[in-house]
Amino acid sequence: MTKDPNRGRPWLYLLPAFSLLALFGALPMAINAWHSLFDVFTLDSKLWVGLDWYREILTSARFYESFGRSLVFSAAVLAVQVPLGLLIALNLPRAGWLRSLGLVLLAVPLMVPWNMIPMIWLSLIDPETGLLGQAMAWAGIDFDHRFKALHTWILLIVMDTWHWVGLVAILSCAGLASIPAAYYQAAAIDRASRWQVFRFIELPRLRGVLLMAVMLRFMDSFMIYTEAFGINAGGPSGATTFLSLDLGEEIKAFDYGPAAARSVVYFAMTLAIAFAFWRAMTAERAEAA
Amino acid sequence: MKRVFQTLGFAALTLFVLLPLVQVVLLSFTSTITREDVVLGSATWLNFANVFATERLAASLVNSTIYVTLNVGLCIAVALPAAYAFSRYRFRGARAAFFTLIAFRVTPPVVLSLPVFLVFSELNLLNTPVGVALAHSIFNVPIAIWILESFISAVPRQLDETAFLDGYSTPRFVVTQLLPVIAPGIGVTAFFCFMFSWVEVVFARTLTVTDGKPITTAIGSLFGFRTDIGLVMAMTVLSLIPGLVMIWFVRNHISRGFTVRV
Repeated sequence: MTKDPNRGRPWLYLLPAFSLLALFGALPMAINAWHSLFDVFTLDSKLWVGLDWYREILTSARFYESFGRSLVFSAAVLAVQVPLGLLIALNLPRAGWLRSLGLVLLAVPLMVPWNMIPMIWLSLIDPETGLLGQAMAWAGIDFDHRFKALHTWILLIVMDTWHWVGLVAILSCAGLASIPAAYYQAAAIDRASRWQVFRFIELPRLRGVLLMAVMLRFMDSFMIYTEAFGINAGGPSGATTFLSLDLGEEIKAFDYGPAAARSVVYFAMTLAIAFAFWRAMTAERAEAA
Repeated sequence: MKRVFQTLGFAALTLFVLLPLVQVVLLSFTSTITREDVVLGSATWLNFANVFATERLAASLVNSTIYVTLNVGLCIAVALPAAYAFSRYRFRGARAAFFTLIAFRVTPPVVLSLPVFLVFSELNLLNTPVGVALAHSIFNVPIAIWILESFISAVPRQLDETAFLDGYSTPRFVVTQLLPVIAPGIGVTAFFCFMFSWVEVVFARTLTVTDGKPITTAIGSLFGFRTDIGLVMAMTVLSLIPGLVMIWFVRNHISRGFTVRV
């Protein structure tokens, strides 16, 4: 395969995809980095402030508090959704209509527009008209997502799990289905236990898709915006104010300078996280090769 | 014993997934604001009739369909050659290119929304489905490349080599021979691109200020002083239908398996 005399050819094939990403992803980000050095009144009238916005963000306690909350939220989301998604995938029937039904069920919540997800859950837990709300009222559970921080958190994590556990399960299923039957036959001949099959056959073969699932879930929960805002707008008293909610507020207030700087800071964090996953994934590729 | 646990587990999963959706469907068929002729809380088709009678709601379904279709087509068109290159060549810079893909896939829309808005307003790409489709390709192109690459890598190299001996050029081989073989992969890719584009809110909302508003904005605009939650839920039910159709078409391909080989 390296015999191809035309060495630039793979890059020629990458060109359309990467020019698209450069033009509509990288270029806006670069222009944004430039804007972040100004106090922007309008795009034509702006005042050079250098790194002031960055200093302001990185020295504010609020930034580190939001950062901490986002980190805890992501950790909780991963701790719940990865094992649960894997468990579902492992227990889904290997063939037949029940498997199709299961996959369709898992995919349905992924199809709901994101701004509708909090609305659906708020109607569900409404003590007057919601199915779950009525049940909880009947059982004497006083669920108050508006004013009790713990309850807001529980609601967010249950809602996020409802929304996303299907993605982890579907990716795991796809990975499991690609394991050749010969591996299982060999394990059966060796009288391997269910746990051994999982530990030494399935888990190593799933590493790639699982890394992908963990990465997608980590980033999307770390920067959760639409769903979290819809539940309680960051409340009660800031208990669910995550990183992206701060940014969203600045954008809504047309604070272009600080918002641009904050975008750059978050983008830098994104790059750092992407780099960590890239290292893990390419190490896996080297092992597999 | 194991069967019992599996059955119980399946039942619990079904309940967990369906309960919120049952709530949506119930509310969508309920009259939820006081009207002169309909009793509050009674069963009715009125919400669905109202969606189609309200021009901006009906239009938003069309707008969303247009930009999602554009996005799926665009992503597959640019990802196919890239996926072929990743699958069939070892080349200098492949690892760096892969890192770029990860970075763009995980950059949250809220981080990019302001920069993209400013650039698109310069390029006259606001308020058009094309703009939204382009913005969504930032996170969908990497996904499309990864999925297609896994399907192409499952095709034996002999297919390429035979075709080249027969005098096929690479583009002609990809279109006439490879494409039919990886058709399920195209389906799965279309499904994932569709999904991430259809449900996305931040880009879709910021890039359509006056015109071309998507379903997500149309639904959001229904909330106000006197929210007709039944109408909101009817709109949600309608927004789920294209997705359900997509899932039905690709369910077997998803379950047959693909690895995200990275």
